[in-house]
Amino acid sequence: MITAERKPIQEIMNLVSPYKNLLLVGCNECVTVCSAGGRKEVALLSSALQVAFMKSGRIVHIQEMTLERQCDPEYIEQLVPHIDSVDAVLSLACGCGVQEIARRFKEKMVFPGVNTKFMGASERPGVWAERCQGCGDCLLGVTGGICPIARCSKRLQNGPCGGSSKGKCEIGPDVDCAWQLIWDRLKALGLQERYETLLPAKNWRNGRGGGPRKIVREDLM
Amino acid sequence: MNLKKKLKSGEFVVLAEMETPRGVDISELVGNAQRLKGRVDAVVVPDMDCGAMRLSALAGAALMQQQGIESVIHVYGRDRNQMALQSDLLGAYVLGVRNLVVVSGEGISQCDHRKAKAVDDLDEMSILQMIRCLQQGLDLAGFELKGTPAFTTGCTLPACADEKAFEAAIEQVRRKIAAGAEYVVTAPIFNFEHSISCLKRAMSLGVPVIPTVLLLKSVGMARYIAVNEPGSMLSEALIARIRKAPDREEECLRIAAEIVAGLKGVAQGIKIQALGWEHRLPAVLDLAGI
Repeated sequence: MITAERKPIQEIMNLVSPYKNLLLVGCNECVTVCSAGGRKEVALLSSALQVAFMKSGRIVHIQEMTLERQCDPEYIEQLVPHIDSVDAVLSLACGCGVQEIARRFKEKMVFPGVNTKFMGASERPGVWAERCQGCGDCLLGVTGGICPIARCSKRLQNGPCGGSSKGKCEIGPDVDCAWQLIWDRLKALGLQERYETLLPAKNWRNGRGGGPRKIVREDLM
Repeated sequence: MNLKKKLKSGEFVVLAEMETPRGVDISELVGNAQRLKGRVDAVVVPDMDCGAMRLSALAGAALMQQQGIESVIHVYGRDRNQMALQSDLLGAYVLGVRNLVVVSGEGISQCDHRKAKAVDDLDEMSILQMIRCLQQGLDLAGFELKGTPAFTTGCTLPACADEKAFEAAIEQVRRKIAAGAEYVVTAPIFNFEHSISCLKRAMSLGVPVIPTVLLLKSVGMARYIAVNEPGSMLSEALIARIRKAPDREEECLRIAAEIVAGLKGVAQGIKIQALGWEHRLPAVLDLAGI
């Protein structure tokens, strides 16, 4: 999933302070799963903002909505009946959702209420960790299902470096050494010989090196 | 008088751009530079210009300094993060380099190493702020420097295809000047009449403006620029002039020289860019009467 964290309330207040009527829009996908921008967080933020603005002597009207997906134009259309009655939109979706609203409603200012963080997985309740950087050229088939691009601090393709100690990375005791994980996994699978194969310099053109990316599927068009 | 003083005093400055080699044979670079010694105020050494991997600008500039020629280097953020940029600028200073131009650099997808990964840690504005910070004796992490560098730093004004783009570009240059740019180098000029009004507007920003004169080499090159860079304003008439000339190479030199001579009373200097024809630069200067 795409993970996100809510921005500090003061930062959000600074962003939306010129406006009196806001549409606060959540998303029922990734940001709901990581508890940053779903229906519950929309309600909580709405109350918090109204209380905070009231304390500073201002009344701000906030309409609340949560869409199934903000990154999909089909669902964005559900905002149409509400958009004219508000001055601005505050979105709790990831950056994709914020931009879709901005693209659809060009005359309205749209503000992000969360900081989009990374593509990750839930390690345990309340903890999400980065797993993928969308490099466009997946290596997981040769690295035992553990991504060195997302999980090695130095993005080494032929690790580990000298900073690996007792399975941990030199940047901090809470960070696993991705290459130790890869080695352990390959060994458990009896595939140690794969470790001996040097991976060539990565083609970053498949990632952001080639500029903003797009997938075109003519069979679906 | 060095470049900084000349720029400050309002004197006309002549800069020549010299590409470094893709390799370690520096004989041509040094030979071409020696032929220009005393005829130009400084040699501009781009850093992997046009996205082609070459010997570093820093090394090229150090070679110029060794020859007793003042140098200017390009600085941009595509290939270096803020640590590398700062480290290289400190290195440049101790090797005698005093002049910089902060440029945008080609996008990594336009470079000849197509699999490479761009760094893009700092943009032009942030690099200008970084240079200002170094000159105040601090690095970007706030640590005090042991010895403070002092540079004369310029920025660029790109070619603009229309008025709207030009207005945005001028506004951007205004911001770059506020961030520390002390002079402006423009994109190549091919259409003298069109460029004069743009130059005058750029000059109103209050810092020296140095237009670039690109030495065309062929009809094909001129055609390519006209088609692919609408902001260049390179006219059909100019292409026809090269095509019809009995000696096309000579005509290209004459065109560059005419633009150089024309700019002498208008701008505060020129930068001649030869893109591989650095050995023809003395001839251009001769024809321009410089």
